[in-house]
Amino acid sequence: MSDTLYQRLQNCIERGKVDKNSPYPPDMKGQDGAVELTQQALAAGLSPHDILVNSLMVGMKNVGERFGCGQAFIPDLMIAAKAMNAATAILRPHFEAGVGVQKGTFIIGTVAGDLHDIGKNIVKMIMEGAGWKVIDLGTNVPTEKFMTSLEQNPEASVGLSALLTTTMVNMEKIVKEIKTKSPSTLVVIGGAPVTDNFRQRIGADAYFPSPHLLPDYLSQRS
Amino acid sequence: MIKEKSEHLFLNNIDQAFEYQVKLADLSISAVDLEKLLGYESGNTPVFYHEKIKHMWEEAFSKVAIRVGYIILPPDQFHWQQTVLNCGKVKFLSGKIITNQLRNSQTVAIFAGTAGAAFDSWSKQLFDQGDFPEGYIADMMGSEIVEAAIDWLEIKIRAKLQQRSLKMTNRFSPGYCGWNVREQFKLFSLLPEKFCGITLTDSALMVPIKSVSGIIGVGEEVEKIGYPCDVCTMKNCYRRHKHERDL
Repeated sequence: MSDTLYQRLQNCIERGKVDKNSPYPPDMKGQDGAVELTQQALAAGLSPHDILVNSLMVGMKNVGERFGCGQAFIPDLMIAAKAMNAATAILRPHFEAGVGVQKGTFIIGTVAGDLHDIGKNIVKMIMEGAGWKVIDLGTNVPTEKFMTSLEQNPEASVGLSALLTTTMVNMEKIVKEIKTKSPSTLVVIGGAPVTDNFRQRIGADAYFPSPHLLPDYLSQRS
Repeated sequence: MIKEKSEHLFLNNIDQAFEYQVKLADLSISAVDLEKLLGYESGNTPVFYHEKIKHMWEEAFSKVAIRVGYIILPPDQFHWQQTVLNCGKVKFLSGKIITNQLRNSQTVAIFAGTAGAAFDSWSKQLFDQGDFPEGYIADMMGSEIVEAAIDWLEIKIRAKLQQRSLKMTNRFSPGYCGWNVREQFKLFSLLPEKFCGITLTDSALMVPIKSVSGIIGVGEEVEKIGYPCDVCTMKNCYRRHKHERDL
């Protein structure tokens, strides 16, 4: 029975079936979604950790891989993340005290001078879908704000986003500050004008033109 | 050698700014175009997204506040050099790619346009409430609408130029094709203050965000040719993606 529940829940994530009332996907209309199946799994005595690892994350990973090879598109990624977030919201209160749903903490923001947030929002959505706690500092974020958040969350990794050549230069200052005060903190960067050459020059740890591989990268290195 | 300027380049009301408010229905853009941008080929869009885009497109009509406009610089204020475009008091360091494309220009049109501020907040609101696909679609719509609005403006400019047997080049914007985005300050210094309701932040970001600005070469012997994506290093440029889609 648990295998069937895991499989059905995984399918809901992969297909973006959030709950029973969700109209998408049309061929699953009226069927239980990620919310209901997560509740059923808990009621059946399955552990929150097993539900998360054996079905929710498997579903998100599969969507990410299909996106990576062009078989799924951004809307598919997004609706899967929506289903994932709905399911993890059900799980969260059931975890034992001190044992979080999260795989780790990820601080993200668009750097000072830049107001673009679509890329940042996509990364946030993917990271939360992969089981990370995301601290979203918003847009136009000065160095000090990144540093304060890192002081409050010393185990966190940091993601910087910029969409202008005039603002990506601010990444260098932030990376330098982080690496001076906390050399082991992973810093990843992204945004249309950003390149891996730039990443190397400023001392960031990784550059991701497409965010779907970011959760695995951080999990392996954290 | 400076090309001799023809007399009929003297346009009535030259250097006067023209601004237009444009209706969404007047633009050459449709919900089908947006489906393709999501990655779905014609006829393959999942029904859910087809319906979602259709509804959001209808909602967009109440959100847009499209304003576009341009000036044409007096020819005697324009001087082309190999990597520099001299426009009145301004010297654009536009780089080789753009100056090559504007080589035979006898002057330039300077333009700007916006889809309006509502799109900035619409996308953010949808993301904040967890409607991720909708937030992405709203953001994409804003970008496509402003580009389509400038396409509309180009048609207007072309019609005006054709009356005088003049032609135009592609349009080029700071931040693309090797032109530093900081040059936005120079570009906007040639336009009336808060032209089309657009302002610049200290980092040269246009606000509202869904705005576009740039220059177009004008002359008897210029032509519109493909963007030189092959020689440009910016791999994630929307123009490259559009060029590859159009191929």
